Amino acid sequence: MNKKRYAIVLDTRRCIDCKACTVACKAENNVPLGRQNHRNWVTEEEVRGTYPHLGQSFTPSQCMHCANAPCKKVCPTSATGRSPEGIITVDEKRCIGCKYCMTACPYDARYYNEEIEAVDKCTFCQHRILAGRVPACVDTCPTKVRVFGDINDPTSEASKLLAKHPHRVIKEGMGTKPHLFYLI
Amino acid sequence: MASFTKKPGELLWFSLLGLGMLVGAGTALMVLTKGHSHMYNVSREVPWGILISTYVFFVVSSTGLCLVSSLGHVFGIEQFELIGRRAILLSIITLLTGFGTIAMEINHPIRMAIYVMLTPNLESPIWWMGTLYGIYLVLLIGEFFFLMKNHHKGALTMGILGFIAAVTAHSNLGGVFGLLEARPYWHGSFLPLYFILSALVSGGALISIIVYYNYQFRKIPLPAKYPHFLTTLAKLQALFLMILIFFIIWKIIPGLYGRPPEKYEATMAILTGPLAFNFWFFEVLIGMIAPVMILFTKKFVTPFGVMVAGALCTVGIFFMRYDLVVAGQIVPMREDTDGIINGLVSYAPSLAEYGIVLGALATCMFLYTLAEKVFDLEMKGH
Repeated sequence: MNKKRYAIVLDTRRCIDCKACTVACKAENNVPLGRQNHRNWVTEEEVRGTYPHLGQSFTPSQCMHCANAPCKKVCPTSATGRSPEGIITVDEKRCIGCKYCMTACPYDARYYNEEIEAVDKCTFCQHRILAGRVPACVDTCPTKVRVFGDINDPTSEASKLLAKHPHRVIKEGMGTKPHLFYLI
Repeated sequence: MASFTKKPGELLWFSLLGLGMLVGAGTALMVLTKGHSHMYNVSREVPWGILISTYVFFVVSSTGLCLVSSLGHVFGIEQFELIGRRAILLSIITLLTGFGTIAMEINHPIRMAIYVMLTPNLESPIWWMGTLYGIYLVLLIGEFFFLMKNHHKGALTMGILGFIAAVTAHSNLGGVFGLLEARPYWHGSFLPLYFILSALVSGGALISIIVYYNYQFRKIPLPAKYPHFLTTLAKLQALFLMILIFFIIWKIIPGLYGRPPEKYEATMAILTGPLAFNFWFFEVLIGMIAPVMILFTKKFVTPFGVMVAGALCTVGIFFMRYDLVVAGQIVPMREDTDGIINGLVSYAPSLAEYGIVLGALATCMFLYTLAEKVFDLEMKGH
């Protein structure tokens, strides 16, 4: 049997910018208040067209759990690691707060959490996955933008979506091999 | 104390430095009790601020002093043997002050000491930075010991090893920035090369200042061998500066040509944006053009003139480090980041950050002046 490889597939056309995912994430993961403290976010693209023919897209995002993760490479104390399922993790006890990972991440996916005194980021809600649940942002989304799953399992919903639809990743040219896939 | 009362200038000097150190220590205490986030202006978007750039400034100075002094006791250019002890001593002090500055920026320096040993990541340039600068510090101390003992063979061996360590550690520091693909302004092999070169400018500048300080400022007549040495240093310094200008020009051209994404915006931030005043006034005018003009004007090439050129270079280089560190992060990683002004994120040091920098500068000068009183730093047997 193949090793598991978790990923999230996103259909951004469904996103209504309600930001429930960011609220759910903050609550689920005890993310402190404050503008800079967030594990996920929704990018609001510019409005297209002229009135009354207008359009706007929203791109929800978070740590890409890159297969070639620059944050993991630069961490001097190996505090940043990778789970067997591909989740990029931070061991709080070993984080020295040098913030090198924050300068190395091309997605701005990390922040320094003053409460846990370490750099913090999305973990795909690892604690929920272990309990057989999906990440909070996936669970809460009213329009089901995100689909979480094991892309090494061809029968998973995420794999099926990727097989059926063309998709892209963000900043592909960085060579980070991100595992957040956006359907086109 | 008796000697202080006889020298009011010295008393004033030590009082000023003491005041600076007090400000630094008080600020450090506040940072440690209140937490970094309440005291520093670094942010999610700009996680590295003036403390990192000041750290770079200090360790570049250390490397430069080591490299320039090695011209004497490693490469055998006799004139440079004069400044061996002073340069290596200041090299140790600047390195230690640099470590102190970065310890105030890192959130958990104690965890660092533990986990760089227990779970090292050999892929991390910062891991190598700590290790290589650690080795470099040991070699510098060894070199200073042998220089003080007039043990030429020991000093030569340590000098050669120290030279290699300086180049390795310092080019690796360039790599700390240069290996980040996410930061196009830093990324590439330019920074390791440029760090070594600009270290030479730093080293030459500081040597001219300490030579002048030790004689003119303390009203001791300058021994005859020094004016000749300073003339040679002036020529060398002019050469280093010309090469530095060449490097700066070639840093800018690829940042503009074809408008490469993110690199272009960072380059423009330096040329016409929020860092422009720092760049044109401090880096270019104060740090490069003015010293070059002094060093190329024959009547200005006096101990005083060379010292002024050195002081101007040092100020310029301080800003050069700051601009480099900030410019690399000023272009946001995400387009809709909060607080963007003209497509750039902003950073200005907080009072606490300035306080730590002031404390570090004062500590460095204090330790050096004190060491001058404790050690006999005049080279013997030449």
